[in-house]
Amino acid sequence: MNFNDFGIDIASLAGSLETRLAAARQSGFTQVMISASDIVGHPSSTAAAVRAIRESGLRVTGIEALRDFEGLSGKMHDYKIDVAKSMLALCSQIGGRLLLVEASASVHADADADKIARDLRKLAILALPMGIRIAFKGLSWSRTVKNFTGAAEIVSLANCPNLGLAIDAFDVIAADTPLDDLDLIFPQQIVLVQLSDFMLQEIRSTEEQVATAAHFRVFPGEGAHSGQLAKFIVKLEGIGYFGDYSFDVYNSDYLQMPAEVIADRARRAADWLGETVLRRTLPVPNMERLTIRGER
Amino acid sequence: MSNATDRESLPESTNPIGMDGIEFIEITTSKPQALGGVLERMGFHPIARHRSREVELYRQGAMNIVVNSQAADIPRTVEPIERPILSALAFRVRDADAAFRRALELGGWEIPIRAQALELNIPGIHGVGESLIYFIDRYDEFSIFDIDFRAIPGVDPNPPAICGLDFFGIVQYVGVDRTGDWSEFYAQLFGFQVIPDDVRFGIMPRGLLMRSPCCKFYLQLIEPDGAAQFAPMEEHLQRIGFATPDVIGATGVLEKRGIEFLATEKVHTSERGALTKPLLGGVMFELVHAPADHTSARP
Repeated sequence: MNFNDFGIDIASLAGSLETRLAAARQSGFTQVMISASDIVGHPSSTAAAVRAIRESGLRVTGIEALRDFEGLSGKMHDYKIDVAKSMLALCSQIGGRLLLVEASASVHADADADKIARDLRKLAILALPMGIRIAFKGLSWSRTVKNFTGAAEIVSLANCPNLGLAIDAFDVIAADTPLDDLDLIFPQQIVLVQLSDFMLQEIRSTEEQVATAAHFRVFPGEGAHSGQLAKFIVKLEGIGYFGDYSFDVYNSDYLQMPAEVIADRARRAADWLGETVLRRTLPVPNMERLTIRGER
Repeated sequence: MSNATDRESLPESTNPIGMDGIEFIEITTSKPQALGGVLERMGFHPIARHRSREVELYRQGAMNIVVNSQAADIPRTVEPIERPILSALAFRVRDADAAFRRALELGGWEIPIRAQALELNIPGIHGVGESLIYFIDRYDEFSIFDIDFRAIPGVDPNPPAICGLDFFGIVQYVGVDRTGDWSEFYAQLFGFQVIPDDVRFGIMPRGLLMRSPCCKFYLQLIEPDGAAQFAPMEEHLQRIGFATPDVIGATGVLEKRGIEFLATEKVHTSERGALTKPLLGGVMFELVHAPADHTSARP
């Protein structure tokens, strides 16, 4: 296995930014997903947060999350463009190369596919000079795009090289999405895969899914759907996905436990996936680039 | 305007901003006199100084090069250091404000207004690295240099070009797997088009070549290869290419003026082109034999 393919979302961990970065590092992680609020909410300053991340030696998987962005018009659109620019600037400052964008749940969002694609394309062009990719994720409670197949259609329509898909295993399992739907996706379109499980056997309503997504996720191997999660990952590898995996475990209980304990649980999840599920080929020494040349 | 006929012959789809060549290329350095010396050896003459900023205009034929040594006053722009850095391209366009607003609508990143009283507000967006791209529509009856610059007394404002030297294009170094991104950027915002791989100019054929919608300016996007892929590198504008119908003649004149050209097994002067040795810690100029359809930047 290649442990470097896995990252932890520091929103899974309690404590100060520095504590969480140290816990991730101590557990052996080399990359972390960062929330914009962790940077601007630093008790000293944004600059201190940027410095802490840069000095941690950890690679930034990406920054999250731009929400309710697409489908707006007039001043609301301009306002969201300003928010997006701020997040892109933060992402660039911490050396990040990816911005996670979650499909809009705003009642003001126009659900017209061409409009959404146009807005995402604009965002991608804004991100382009900084070398940042946009990872667009469907949400089951979104008004515009509810799942990865819908997100893939928008990404194809927008057709911009630095605009791709984020797929969250939680959404796939909670919605019981057929894995064969992944056959419709070009693997090059996927720029981030987020992994988490949950304890409930099934989720009955959108409200329950929203609550579970925000508070009751667990690490892969700890939940009720390890088999489904394993099949999902094997399927992703089967279609040719070769990018990063990020554990996005939002769990209110974990935020009452020491960061290093939770980071170790994440490490066990990575070990389980790497040793029993994934079995990826190790990269050739000194050839750390894992993307396929000319894939775009 | 004198180019009205040309404008009508270019449909919106092929030249969405009415691009019409390059008004100037800006180089930033904290040692403007050293760079000025190099530019003069390359055939440029100092023509004018900016009224409020530490900026000087050099000209040769139809080419304007602006030497900037003003401290950076907005984020993501070049701070002058000793080594000269290509810091801005100014595109001549049909309507600068329209081109600017169109770029913003498509995802361009605007730069704040910084004109002083009675100076022109030149709209611009961020380009690669810390560089800027300006849009200029006043370039025929009178130019931005007539307003914001004060002429140096007793100097010919229109010195002729050595062997017809003219702007040909810019070489931009891009990161690994980033050619697709940048070609999208230039195609989307300005209407540049990718040229087939078998069409090449000059002696440095690597990378992806794009042509401006006015067919007067080229961009060459070059990714690192070999071991350079793993070295840290900021994306940037790397060198200016000059077109000339007579590369051999031009290099002869420039060599007499003290410019040295690379003469290695792989890179050496020929009728197709030539490349200067690095000057002042990294500045290079390339000469390219002008293709038959390459026309002067002047309208």
